[in-house]
Amino acid sequence: MSRVKTAAMSSSERKAYYLNRLYMILPVISVLLLLLLWTTASLNSDFPSPVETWNRLIELFERPIKNKTIIGHTLASLTRVFLALAFNWTFGIAFGILIGWNKKCRALFTPLFNAFRAVPPLAWIPLITMWFGIGEFPKALTVIIGSIAAVVVNTQAGLSNVQQIYLDVGTMFNANVRQKLFQIAIPSALDAIFAGVRTSTSAAWMVVLAAEMLGAKSGVGFLITRGMDSMDMPLVLMSMAVIGIVGAMLAVVTQFAERLICPWTRKRSN
Amino acid sequence: MPMDKKKVKLRLENISQSYVVNNEVRDAVSNVSIDVYDNEFLVILGPGHCGKSVLLNIIGGLEKPVEGNKYIDGVKFTGSDKRIGMVFQRLALMPWKTVMGNVEFGPRLAGVDKATRRKIAQKYIDLVGLKGFEKAYPHQLSGGMKQRVGIARAYANSPEILLMDEPFGQLDAQTRIVMEEEIQRIWQQEKRTIIFVTNNIEEAVYLGDRIILLSKCPARVKQIYEINLPRPRNTMDPEFLRIRREVSENTDLAL
Ligand SMILES: Nc1ncnc2c1ncn2[C@@H]1O[C@H](COP(=O)(O)OP(=O)(O)O)[C@@H](O)[C@H]1O
Ligand SMILES: [Mg+2]
Repeated sequence: MSRVKTAAMSSSERKAYYLNRLYMILPVISVLLLLLLWTTASLNSDFPSPVETWNRLIELFERPIKNKTIIGHTLASLTRVFLALAFNWTFGIAFGILIGWNKKCRALFTPLFNAFRAVPPLAWIPLITMWFGIGEFPKALTVIIGSIAAVVVNTQAGLSNVQQIYLDVGTMFNANVRQKLFQIAIPSALDAIFAGVRTSTSAAWMVVLAAEMLGAKSGVGFLITRGMDSMDMPLVLMSMAVIGIVGAMLAVVTQFAERLICPWTRKRSN
Repeated sequence: MPMDKKKVKLRLENISQSYVVNNEVRDAVSNVSIDVYDNEFLVILGPGHCGKSVLLNIIGGLEKPVEGNKYIDGVKFTGSDKRIGMVFQRLALMPWKTVMGNVEFGPRLAGVDKATRRKIAQKYIDLVGLKGFEKAYPHQLSGGMKQRVGIARAYANSPEILLMDEPFGQLDAQTRIVMEEEIQRIWQQEKRTIIFVTNNIEEAVYLGDRIILLSKCPARVKQIYEINLPRPRNTMDPEFLRIRREVSENTDLAL
């Protein structure tokens, strides 16, 4: 009986070990496959190869565009993103808490908010340009508009789904409404709020690039437009690769921050 | 202790509760009057869905009864009261708080300063046998340990009356037996008036100074038993078995 059990265990353990290995190798394989396909596609065509793209990156260090290397342009985009996110994480979360906690406010704002959410951020660009011209503020505003909904929606969902039993605990301890909100409802909604933070970060990163493509003098989105205007395909591809890598890194950073700030949610990830 | 010397801690007077479900009034608790004595371990026993939780929630002030009055030490009160604490049926520990954070939650809401509330919390963490687990999060604990935290949390708010709603209902049989011994030990060390709800007859006879047997829904007081067996009780003792059979024969089956 026990022999059968150990044999079964060790074979399933062996399986788990190989699976783990496999899961480590698979991502590497997919990247290699992409590079292989990319290289094949670039043979006998104008399409720049991975090597040319890499060389374009080095060249940008030697001859900066508008006085900025790729680092400068990435930082320019990231600055706009974080200005917008700082606003969203303050006022978006506050607004989400308000309409999540207070049913009257929810009824008041939900129709407007849903309509606002349905308008894509890029549709705002003409209005924003008309009102504020082209500078840093209108770009940050576009990013705010494009990424605030994720924060509000998730925060609101977290607040309106607080389990009654946690609030009952508060009642038993004679908590007042303020304490119930700040000591029970908001902490219990933190993982939902964090989902909003994560989604808004990736949304902001996408919107900033689009905003930069429509008139900017710095940023990765600007580099893409510049590459397009000067038929500099390696520059376009290099910028796209940078966008992808930075976006993935942002996702990792926010996930890491979530684990740091909400250690109790770790349970779900393993 | 002779009956006339016992002090009534909590008095329930003609408590009734009903709900409107599909335009139809349904009674959940019907005209329940109970006297609970100071520092007694009172067990409320009844079949599933008979209105036990409703009754306990009314005592705790989580629900308002349609009728009836509540008194502590002879003084009428309504709603929740800080002299009453609750150990919840479903685990209601805050997953975002550590064991210490959960246990000190009551004093913290009451505005007790950090050093004092830590001391209080530590006392009850030690009492329930969780010394060394102060920094653990609920999801890292077993079911029995979580209930220990729930008990410590209720105690730490220094209530005079403790309500426990089937606290061990979700535990496996082995852990349940351990926790029944534990709650008895904790109560004997730190006497409080305990109102313990269960649907388990053996648990009721093992723990109760008295058992209030409720009928099936709507809950009415069907019978009151006084259990004068010495503690800790032996579940194989002939007298224990006799009482258990007597209660059992009188119990309504859950629908
Ligand atoms: N808020 C409510 N609305 C309608 N019916 C309720 C409500 N709370 C409890 N009930 C009903 O009252 C009865 C008793 O419930 P409860 O006290 O939870 O049973 P138990 O004895 O198992 O704890 C059940 O039939 C339940 O459906
Ligand atoms: Mg119940």
